[in-house]
Amino acid sequence: MTLLAPSALVIAFYVLLVRLLAGYSIPVFRRYGASFVLSSVWNPGSASYGILPALMGTAVTSVLAAAIALPVSLSMVVFLNEYCPSIVARVVASVTTVMGGLPSIVYGLWGALVLPELLRSYVMVPLHKYLGFLPPFSCAPVSGWTFFTAGVLLAIMITPYMFSLVHEAYASVPRKYREALLAISARPYVIAREFIKMLWPAVIGALLLGLGRAAGETIAVSLVVGNVNAVPYCLFLPGQTISSLIANNFPEASSYPLMLNALYAAASVLLVVGMVLNIAGLALMSRWRSITG
Amino acid sequence: MRDALRIVVAVITALIIVGIAAAVASVFGSGIGGGGNSRTLKPATTSSPTYVKMGGATFPAPQYLAWIKSFMREHPSIRVSYELLGSGAGVSRFFDGTLDVAGSDPPLPHDVWVKHEGKVMQVPTLVGAVVVTYNIPGLNHVTLNLSGKVLALIYKGVIKYWDDPRIQELNPAVKLPHHEIFVVFRADASGTQLIFTTFLHKAAPSTWPSTLVGKAPAFPVAGSGRAAGGKGNPGVANLVMSNPYSIGFVEWSYALENNMSIAAIENAAGNFVKPSTESLISAARSAAKHLPRTPLGDFSKDEEYIIYPGGKDAYPLVAWTHLVIRVNYESQAKARAVAALLKWIAEKGELNIIPGYAPVPENVRQLMVEAANNILHAAGS
Amino acid sequence: MEVDYGVSASKVINWFVAGITCLVTVLGLMPYALIVTSTVERGVKAIATVGILKFLTALPPSPGTKGLGGVGPSLLGTLALTALSTLMGVPLAFALAMLVTEFPHNIVSRSLRALVKGLLELPTILAGMVVYSLVVIPMGTPSIFAGALALTVVMLPYVTTYFETYLGSVPKIYREAGYAIGLSKAGVALRVVVPIAKKGLIVGVLVGVSRALGETAPLLFTLGAARYYYPTSITGPGDSVSLLIYNFAMMPYPNLRAVAWGAALVLLASYLIVSLAVQLCVRGVEA
Repeated sequence: MTLLAPSALVIAFYVLLVRLLAGYSIPVFRRYGASFVLSSVWNPGSASYGILPALMGTAVTSVLAAAIALPVSLSMVVFLNEYCPSIVARVVASVTTVMGGLPSIVYGLWGALVLPELLRSYVMVPLHKYLGFLPPFSCAPVSGWTFFTAGVLLAIMITPYMFSLVHEAYASVPRKYREALLAISARPYVIAREFIKMLWPAVIGALLLGLGRAAGETIAVSLVVGNVNAVPYCLFLPGQTISSLIANNFPEASSYPLMLNALYAAASVLLVVGMVLNIAGLALMSRWRSITG
Repeated sequence: MRDALRIVVAVITALIIVGIAAAVASVFGSGIGGGGNSRTLKPATTSSPTYVKMGGATFPAPQYLAWIKSFMREHPSIRVSYELLGSGAGVSRFFDGTLDVAGSDPPLPHDVWVKHEGKVMQVPTLVGAVVVTYNIPGLNHVTLNLSGKVLALIYKGVIKYWDDPRIQELNPAVKLPHHEIFVVFRADASGTQLIFTTFLHKAAPSTWPSTLVGKAPAFPVAGSGRAAGGKGNPGVANLVMSNPYSIGFVEWSYALENNMSIAAIENAAGNFVKPSTESLISAARSAAKHLPRTPLGDFSKDEEYIIYPGGKDAYPLVAWTHLVIRVNYESQAKARAVAALLKWIAEKGELNIIPGYAPVPENVRQLMVEAANNILHAAGS
Repeated sequence: MEVDYGVSASKVINWFVAGITCLVTVLGLMPYALIVTSTVERGVKAIATVGILKFLTALPPSPGTKGLGGVGPSLLGTLALTALSTLMGVPLAFALAMLVTEFPHNIVSRSLRALVKGLLELPTILAGMVVYSLVVIPMGTPSIFAGALALTVVMLPYVTTYFETYLGSVPKIYREAGYAIGLSKAGVALRVVVPIAKKGLIVGVLVGVSRALGETAPLLFTLGAARYYYPTSITGPGDSVSLLIYNFAMMPYPNLRAVAWGAALVLLASYLIVSLAVQLCVRGVEA
C-alpha cells in the first residue's frame, strides 16, 4: 500500500539515527554507567562527563515553559471562542497562529538581546523580593541569563502551537453540544469547561507538542540560559540544558577524548526520556479518544 | 465583495510564488549563476567554477571573509566559502573530507600531525589578541593595569573585590570601588579561553596549575554566584556590558568595535602593554623563531612560545591562528585554486587587514608561499 | 419561582472568567508585539541605508567596513531550501497523518505516531548531525540538498501533528455520511475528510514552511555558509538567511550586526505576508 512507503522512510531514518547515536554513545555508557546521568561534574580536561545539571535544566525549563504556555493558550482559546466578538476573535486567532511559525532565529535574536534585562528588572527582582522564601525564587538574580529566562522564552515560542491545536479542536466540536448546553442556560464559562473536558486529548497532544519543542529547541535556549553547569535548585541561576550543552560544546568536541561521544550520549538520553513521555501521553490520549465522538 | 477580495489576494500570492519559483529554477537549472562580481547575476565566464570550502575557527573568520570577498573579485572562477564552526569542528570536518581548508586557532596536536605526516600542512596566517575587559561605573575610560597573577586569583575566586590591595597596588593612581567582582568566562569550549588560561598558567604557574588550562576548564569561581559563562565572544561582551563591576576576556576585535575598556597586561618583561598592531607584531617576531621551517612541520608547540613571549613591547595575550591544508587535492583545478588563495593572502593579505588583527611577520608569510608551491607540485603543475 | 436578585453566583463567575481570560490573552500577545516592533525598528534602520532592492540582491559586506551590502545569495538559498524541504516533507507528513487517522488502532500506526512525535525532542542540531553523517560525508561537500533534508527531519513531526489533529477533528458524522453514500475508505478520506480539514492542512503546510525558514541548527553542518557568491547548484554549498543571521549576530562588527537585523526583518516580513495571505484565503467548514 502506498501508505507504507512513507512509514518505511521514517523507520529507516530512525534505524540510521539509532545506529549513529548508539555507535557514539555506547562507549560512554560502558565507561561511566549510570554516573553519566547522575553526576554533576563536567570536566572535559579530566574526561569526567556528568549531565545531571543539564538534564535537570531541560526538565525545569520545559516544564516551566509548558506551565506558562498551557494556561495562557487555554485562556486564549476560551476568551476568543466564548467572550470575544467574532471578528476580533478571528483576527487574533489568525495572528497568534502566525506567530507560532515565526522563524526561531528571530526569537533567538530578540531573546538574546532584549529579553534578559527586561525579565530581570521587571519580573525576577520583584519575585525574589516578595516571594524569596519559596525555593525556586530564593537566589538573587545577578544577570538576566537564567533558567527562568529560558523557560519564559520557550513559553513564548510554544504558546501559539498549543493555542492553534486546541483552538481548532474547540471550533470543530459539533454544534449540537453547544445547543444542548445553551438549552439549559449554561453560562459561557460552563460551555468552555465542558468543551475542554471533551477536548482533553487535544490538550494533552498540545502539551506534548509544547514540551517536545521546548526540550529540543537549541539555538534560542543556548543564547539565554546562561551556559553554566549549575543544578537548578533555583530558577534565577544561570544554567544549562541538554541542547545548550550540545550546542556549546559541539564545535570543539573533537579535541577532547570522548567528548563527542558524551554529547551524543546526552542527546540519546533526551530522546529516550522524550519517547517515554510521548508514549505515555499517547496512551492517555487514545483512551480518551474512544470516548469522544 | 469579500470573496472578490479573497480571490484577488489568492491570485497575487500565487503569482508571487510562481515568480519566485521561476527565478530560483532559472538560477539552478541552466547553470547561470552569479559571477564573482558583487551585484548582479552574470553568466560564468569559464566552465563551471571551482569551489574551495573553508571553515573552522570563528576568531579569524571576519578577516578571512574580508579576504575572501576581495580574492573572489580578482578570481571570478573560484568560489570560496568559510563556515563558522569552531576550530575543533573545522579540523574534524577537514579530515572527514567535507572541507578543503580548515581554520584552526590552535595547531594540530602532535599525535594528529604524526598520523597525517606528509599529507597535511599548516600555516599561521594572522596574529590575534585576547583582551581583558571590564565594566566599572565611572572608570571605564581609565586603563587598568592587570597582571597574570592577579587575573589568576580573580578567576580562582580568591580576589573578590575590586579594591583588593593586589589590584590596587598595580594601579596606584586609580580609586577602585569596594564592590564584588562579577567574573565572566566562556561557557562554550573555546580557543580564546585556551589562550587566556594558557597565559594564566605561564604567568602564574603556582596559582593557576596546568589542570585549569583548556578550552573549557572548570573555573573555581564558577559556583560562587558572582560568575557567569557567556556563549561566544558576544555572550561575554554582552554580560560584561550589562553587568556593572564585571570583568571578562574577549577577542580584541570585540572590545574595539564595542568601545569596551581594555586592560594593560603585564608582559614577561614586566611592562604593562595594551594591544596594538605593533605590540602584536612584536610578540609574533619573538615567537617566530620557534616555528617549524616548513609548512609540513610540526606546529603543535607554537602557541607555547607566542603566549607570554619575551620582548619588552610585546603584548602577552597573543596567539597564532592557522590554516590546515592538504598536500594532495582531488583535482588540478582545486589544487590551483587553493594555491592561488594562499599566494594571494601572502602577497596582498596585509593590505587588507581589518581592525582587531595583525599580519604575520614577513618570514612567516613565506610558509604560505611554500605551501602553495607544495600543492602545485603535488598536483603535477 | 426563583426570585431574581439581579446578580447570581454563576453570573459573577462568568464575568470573572471573562476578565481573567481577556487579561491573559492581552498579556500573552504582548511579547509577540514586542518582538515584531524590535525587529521592524532595527531592521528598517539597516535596510533603509541601502534600499530594499539592493539589500535583497547584493552580497554581504566585508566585516568592519561602512557599507551594508545585502543578503542576495542567502535569500536565494532560503527560497531553495524552503521549496525543497516542503516538497519532501509535506507529502510524507500527509501520508503519515492519513495512516494514523484512518487506522488508529493498528500497532504499526501507533508506533509510527510515537516515533514521529519523538522526533520533536531531537535537538535540532542532531538532525543536522545525522544528515551530515549520512549525506554530507559521502558527497564530500555540504549542500543545499543536505540542508533541505535536515530541515525536513525537523519539520516532519510538526506538520504531521497538525495534519493529524485537523484530519482527526473532522467529526465522525461526515465520515459516516460518506460511507452512507457508498464511498470506499479511501474515497471518504480523500473526498470528504480532506476538503473539510482543508484549512488545517494548509496551516500545517505553513508550519512546515515556517520551520524551514527559521531553523538554523540543522543547517550548521549541512549547508556550507556560502554567502559571498550566488550558488548555482543544489549539490553545492549554499547559505540561508537564518544561518546568516546566526553568524552575523555574533560578530563584533556593527555593519554585520545591522545586516543581521535587516535580514531578520526580511525573514519576518516574508513569513508574515505569506501566512496572513493564506489565512485570509482559506476558510474552514463550520460544524
